[in-house]
Parts: sequence; C-alpha cells; structure tokens
Amino acid sequence: MSEPLLSVRRLSAGYGATTVVRELDLEVRAGESAVIIGPNGHGKTTLLRALNGLIRPSAGEVLLDGEEIAGRPSEQIARLGAVLVPQGDGLFPEMTVEDNLLMGAFLGQSWRDRRRSLAHVYDLFPGVKARADQQARTLSGGERRLSALGRALMRPSTILMIDEPSLGLAPVALDAVYGAIAELKSAKTTILLVEENFTHVGGIADSIHVLEMGSITRSGSYKELSEDEGVVAAYLGSIT
Amino acid sequence: MNEGHSRALFPDMTSGRWSLAVLVVLALAAFPLVESNQYILSVFVTTMILLVMNMSWNFILGVAGVWNFGQLAVYALGGYGAGILMLHTGLPPVLDVVVGGLIGAAVSVLMAVPTLRLFGIYTSLLTFAFAEIVQYLILNDGSGLTGGSYGFPSVKGLYSFLSPVASMHAYYWTLLGVIVASTVAIALVTRSRLGIALRAIRDAPAFAAARGVSPLRYRILAFGLSGFLAGIAGALYLCFEQSIDPSIMGLTPMSLDVTMLVIGGLGTIFGPAIGTTIVTVVETVLVNHPGVQLTVVGIFLLVIVVFVPGGIVGLVGKVRARLSAWAEEGEEEAEEPEATEGVAPAGGTAGALDPIAIHDTTGAPTDVAP
Amino acid sequence: MTDLVGILVTTVILGSIYGLVAIGMTLIYGTLRILDMSQGSMVMIGSFVGWGILVSAHWNPVLAIVFAFAATFVLGMMTQLVSVQPLMGRRKAIDFEMVTFITTFAVAMILENVALEVFGPQQRNVTPVVSGGVNVYHGVNLPYQSIAMAAISILLMGGLGLFLGKTRWGMAIRAVAQDLDAARLMGVPVSKLYPVTMGLASSLAGVAGVFLGAQFFAYPQAGDLPLLEALIVVVFGGLGSLPGTVYAAYVIGLIQATTEVFLGTTWSLPILYGVILFVLIFRPQGLLGKPSEARL
Repeated sequence: MSEPLLSVRRLSAGYGATTVVRELDLEVRAGESAVIIGPNGHGKTTLLRALNGLIRPSAGEVLLDGEEIAGRPSEQIARLGAVLVPQGDGLFPEMTVEDNLLMGAFLGQSWRDRRRSLAHVYDLFPGVKARADQQARTLSGGERRLSALGRALMRPSTILMIDEPSLGLAPVALDAVYGAIAELKSAKTTILLVEENFTHVGGIADSIHVLEMGSITRSGSYKELSEDEGVVAAYLGSIT
Repeated sequence: MNEGHSRALFPDMTSGRWSLAVLVVLALAAFPLVESNQYILSVFVTTMILLVMNMSWNFILGVAGVWNFGQLAVYALGGYGAGILMLHTGLPPVLDVVVGGLIGAAVSVLMAVPTLRLFGIYTSLLTFAFAEIVQYLILNDGSGLTGGSYGFPSVKGLYSFLSPVASMHAYYWTLLGVIVASTVAIALVTRSRLGIALRAIRDAPAFAAARGVSPLRYRILAFGLSGFLAGIAGALYLCFEQSIDPSIMGLTPMSLDVTMLVIGGLGTIFGPAIGTTIVTVVETVLVNHPGVQLTVVGIFLLVIVVFVPGGIVGLVGKVRARLSAWAEEGEEEAEEPEATEGVAPAGGTAGALDPIAIHDTTGAPTDVAP
Repeated sequence: MTDLVGILVTTVILGSIYGLVAIGMTLIYGTLRILDMSQGSMVMIGSFVGWGILVSAHWNPVLAIVFAFAATFVLGMMTQLVSVQPLMGRRKAIDFEMVTFITTFAVAMILENVALEVFGPQQRNVTPVVSGGVNVYHGVNLPYQSIAMAAISILLMGGLGLFLGKTRWGMAIRAVAQDLDAARLMGVPVSKLYPVTMGLASSLAGVAGVFLGAQFFAYPQAGDLPLLEALIVVVFGGLGSLPGTVYAAYVIGLIQATTEVFLGTTWSLPILYGVILFVLIFRPQGLLGKPSEARL
C-alpha cells in the first residue's frame, strides 16, 4: 500500500477555549471516497474547517500528499489542491452563478482553461447553466448546492471535501446532488464527505468513519458498519 | 489625577488609596498658591475645562458605546446659550452656566433620538453631520446673535468682581471642584442600574433587548446626562475665555479630543484625565512645531489603538492583574493548579452575552468584581 | 436657461470628481468593513504631487497623474499595513469599525501634519493639467481642465467597474467582500489582497487630488473638504454599494450645483449635511445600500 493522500494525526481544534475536535485520527487514500458520519455538534464541520485552514488547529498534524498543512492559511492549503464545499455552500451572493464558477478557477489557470472547465461543469449540471446569469442569492437550495459543487470542480483537486451535501434539500434536489457525487466517485476523485447519517451515502462510500464527541470511534467499510447494530441504530433510523 | 472619592462605594477603595486620592486633590488645589505664573495657571484651567468636556464625551462614547461625534457641538451650544443669557439678561452668572448645561442636555437628547435607529458607523456620521451643520450655521450667522465667525461678543464671566489673579484662582478651584464632583457622579452612574444597562446595550444589544433593557429610555438618559456636563463645560469655557467662537468645533479639535479619550482608555473613569494630561503635555512641549506636535499625537493614537486596546488605564490594569496573578500563583501553586480554567465562556460572542463579562469591560482594572 | 446649463455642467463635473474620491471609500468599506478616514489625505498628497511635478519640475501633466497614482497607491498599501492589518484579528469584534475608523483617522492626522511640517501651511497654486476653455452656452464657460477632470474620473470609475467585474483579481476583491471564508477556500491570498485594495482606492483619490489641487490649491488641509464630501456621498449612496456611490455622487453634485446658483457657495455644505441627516433618519441604508448593512 502507498502512503495515504490525507493523513490526520491526533488533531484537536475548536473555537476559543472550547475544543470540539479531540485528538482525531483519520486516513484517506488517493481515489478513495471516505464518508464521515456523526451527530450534529460533534465536530464534523469543525474538522473540515480545520483541515482547510479556516480555523487553526490547536494540536496535531495533517499531511496532505506528504505536506504538513496544519495551521497553514486556507489559501495555501487550496494551492495544494484541497477543495471544500463548505456548509451553507459559500457562494458569493451578489455574484452571478457564472462568476461564482469562475472564482472556483481562481488558482493558476489560463483564461482558456477556465472557459474549458466552465463548459465541463455546464455539461455536468445543465441546471446550473440555465441559471448562469442569475445572482447566486436568488437560487433555490438545490441549485445552490449544485452550483457550489460545480464551483468545486472548476479546478483540479487532490481531495474534494463536501460538508453535508444533503442538508436542507428536497428529495429531487438530493438525487441530483448525490447523482453528481456518484459520478465524481466513478471518475476516481478522492472525496471526503460528511453526513449526519447513512441514508444517502450507501452508493458512494468506500469507507465510513463514525465521528462522536470529536473523535473517530468506528471505522470500516460501508458493509461492515451497516451490519453493526449499534451504529445502525444510531445512524440509520433517523431519516425515513 | 487620582481623586478617589469615586471609589467611596467600592470595596477595592482601600484607606491607602483614599489617602493618595485626597492627597492628589489637595496638591492640585494648593498648586495656585505656589505657582504665580498666570500663563501656566491658565493652561491648567483650559485643560481642566477640556477635561470636563472629555469626561462628558467619554460617558457617551465609552460607557454607553454610542459613536457620538457631535459632542463638540453640544459643548459649543452650551457655551453660546450661556453667553446669550449672560449678554441679554441679568441672571446671576452661575445660573447662566447651569442653563448652559440644560441647553447642552436638550441638544444632546435631540441628537439622540435619530441615533436610536442606527448602529455603529452610521451613528457617527449622523452626529458628525449634525455638528458640522451647527458649526456652519454659527459661522455664517449674520444676525449678530452669535457673532458668526468673529466669535461671541465679550462677556464678563463668573468672577468679574475679582482681581485678575484672584479670578484666575477662583476659576482654577471651580474647575477642580467640578471635576471632582463629576468624577464622583460619573463613577456612581456607571456603577448604577443605568450604567449597567448602557453597557449591556453596548456589548450585547440583542441580549439586552431580550432582558427588557430599553435602549430608548437608557440612551436618551445617557445623552441627556452627557449633554448636561458638556454644556456646563462649554459655559465654563465661555466664562473663562470671556468669549467663544466656532473654531472650538470641527475636525481638528475633535481629533485631539478623541485621541485624549483613546489614549487614556475609553470608557474608564480616569482615562479622560490621563489622556487629556498626556496630549496637553505633548502639545505644550511642542507648541512651536505644530506639524510635529500633531504627528506625534497621531502616532501615539495609532500605537495605542493597535497595541494597547484598553488605553493606558487598561494597560495599567493588565500589568497589575498579571502581577497579582503571578504573586497568587506562587502562593497557591501547590494546592490549586487550575482553579479558574474551564469556566471561561468560549469565544467573543459568548463572552459578550455573559453579564459578568459585561461588567468586566469597563476596562478599569480594579472594577473587576472579586 | 444659462442657470440650467450651468447647473448641469457643474453637476457633471462635481459629480465625477466626488465619485472618484468616494468610490475608493466604498471599495474599502465593501471589502474590509472599514470607513477609511485617510482618503482625504490621499487627495492632499495627490495635490502636492501635482504641484511638485507641474509647478516645481515643469513636467508633463500625464506624469503628474501617473506619479500621484503611484505615490498614493503605495501610501494606501502602507496605511493598510500599519493601521488595519494588525487589527484584522479583531475583525469580528463589535467595535472593529470604530477602532479602524480611529486608526485610519490617526494616519490622516499623521499625513496631514507631516505635510504641514514639510511644506508649511501656505496654499500653493497648482497649474491646471490643461489650460484654456470653451464657451458651451451664453456665459457658461467650461475650462478644458474641468472637462479633463470629469473625463478622467469617469474613465477611472469605468475602469474600476471593469476591473472588478471581469478580471481575476477584481473578482477576487468582490469575492472577499461577499464571503471571506469562501474566497480563501478559492485560494485568494487575502492578506495580500487587502493592502492592494486599499492602495487602489487611495490611488483614485490621489488622482482626484491632482485636479482638485488646481481647483483649490495644494495645502496640508486640502483633504478635509473632499473627505467630508466623500463621506456624504458614501452615506447617501449606501455604504458598500459601488453603483449607489456613483449615483449618489451625481445627485450630490446636482444638489450642490443648485445650491450654489440659488443660495451661494457658503450654503452648499450645510445643505448637504441637512440632506444627510434626512437620509440617515429616514433611509439609513442610503440609496442602494442593503438594510442589513445599516443594522450591523
């Protein structure tokens, strides 16, 4: 086995005096799609924010492709190919959808490459293309999520992180979003995805990690964990 | 400047500090008896007048946290109001000064009403615009009421019946008395229900509103009090200078006053005194180099805001707190390693919602409840 | 009729130059959430650069504009690094706007008084960038200088619009203004972008200074009035709204031109402040500002 692409060791992070993520260990291999599930408030979003430099970890190390990134500012981590679709989508509300997408290609590309990526994203998400000239704040929740996902595809990623793609979406939009993620997985994109429960991730998860009280308490394949009664009772039954 | 009567009700006002405060006030009071240079005395008096004005501003800007940049207009209008009375009526001058204060309060309340809807930077723009209009109206007043840009016609002031030297002394002691009295008053008000409500509105408006603290009532009250003191200061300025003119308002005096407040420590009891003294000393020492003078003041301001957020009072408090923490650590190390850790609320927002934290933000080091 | 033409012409000229000074303030407020009180000093510096190059050195007017742009760009970047960058850690604090208001004010004080020490208090004539004029209507004489001033202002404002709308770095500035965290995730180097933004905004004021210097002399307090006028425009247009600022600049220009014709020059500022009082009391978010910005 080669080195893991992302390797997190004893990472702690939080806000002010409150530690949310505690001594967390995690590994994601290249090409793998890893899913973290866990209840709200147990540190999923905090973990992604810390991994992407939006908050400064208080302890621990994070290696991305062999480079230590813990404590670096997010613009530097982005340069190494980390891409995050943050909670709330993080679209620029007063920009058009197209400008939002173009911002996704901010890092080092020629204009033509940007246009090419744009065409690619529009191919992938025709619904986004239809909204190209609309201001992002006027979009519906599903359109917004797809636009954010599309923006994340505007530059090549070493790892694509997605914070709760199902959050607040209607079933139809949900299918579109997860359909897109499934396509990304089949294209061998390395994905680290966070969800509250098992419900939607069955088709895409290579590995599942349970995040409770700031640490990973269980790890395994989807199959292993979906047969674990404790895990299933906690994380499968909540959404009908 | 440590007249400590204000600490009368405070547990941390030890007898040692009391004596120090009384000593400082007595020394200041005795100063005119040993100093015969009238110029130096007049610098002291004008500085003290400015200090009264700064104390009034500090209350609204620092304690109430309302970004009022119109205070100099209130100050000026208090002076002009008292002057007009002095010139056209036969009221005793002391009453004119009191009425000047009342005019200040009225103007200030008038200014307060529109600011209730506004936040932060918008408040400062509104109040500043108000002050500019006042200045322009007076500058271009052709009716003869204010004297326009030439300044107010000469008035007699408070002590016209005394000899020049005696009158200088009288002003000196009057101002010292006013300062001691307003320091006590402001300290008491800051400690009172009103003060707590104001700081709650300043630090956590939503929390304060949820607790039923009405910004309307408390802010108008705060503006009124602050305006009264500013008006008194303006009237005293008029009396001492025997005139008043529009140049006491505007960008330059305002920037100096803001610097004094910020350097001393915004919202603290003794900050205005410390800041006013420091800036006045800088001004006096560099009086022949106007450019250098204000450059130094500007650098001072920048450095204090960036590196010493609480001003000099805050800095002294921090140093003292660290010293005593260090001393206590030495004593209690063996038994209680982490006594107070973990209770602290997380992050700034949570802190702002904590009523005890609101209490702490007065910045005065010794104010922290035991 | 002469009055009307005069008012219209003055409106365009005043509006353009106000717009140029104010648009920088809006750009800075929109991006950094600070009201940059040093913008007036940048106008003053621009005036002195204009004086130095046009009067002292007798160089080409184009050089005056270029040098003013460059000098105030650097100064603006330095202002950001000195008075704002060290405070960025406190940008979420409730008093951030107030604190930076004061620090930029301190910078203005320093610049103004360094100028006072270096150049002295006297007012210096700055040669117009272009001389001569044209009679547009009976009795309405329009100096070429004013035409150049309006034209360059409009050009620069348009250029800024294009820059922000179409270019990679311009879009990055907008992105930072709209969602800081998301912009960082896109890889925008925020700590470099902030000084550049402030330098850019300052340089627009600097260019305005070259023209205003010819209109009103170069002297240490030359920035005070433009600062006050820009403040009025910015509030009227709604803090942080670029199109609002441009509209507001011309509306304010119109109000001022009309006041000057019918009431005289001394009344123009008090009337404008009256307008501002009115706006703040009845429509605090200004012409195009978002209500949310007016409420924290």
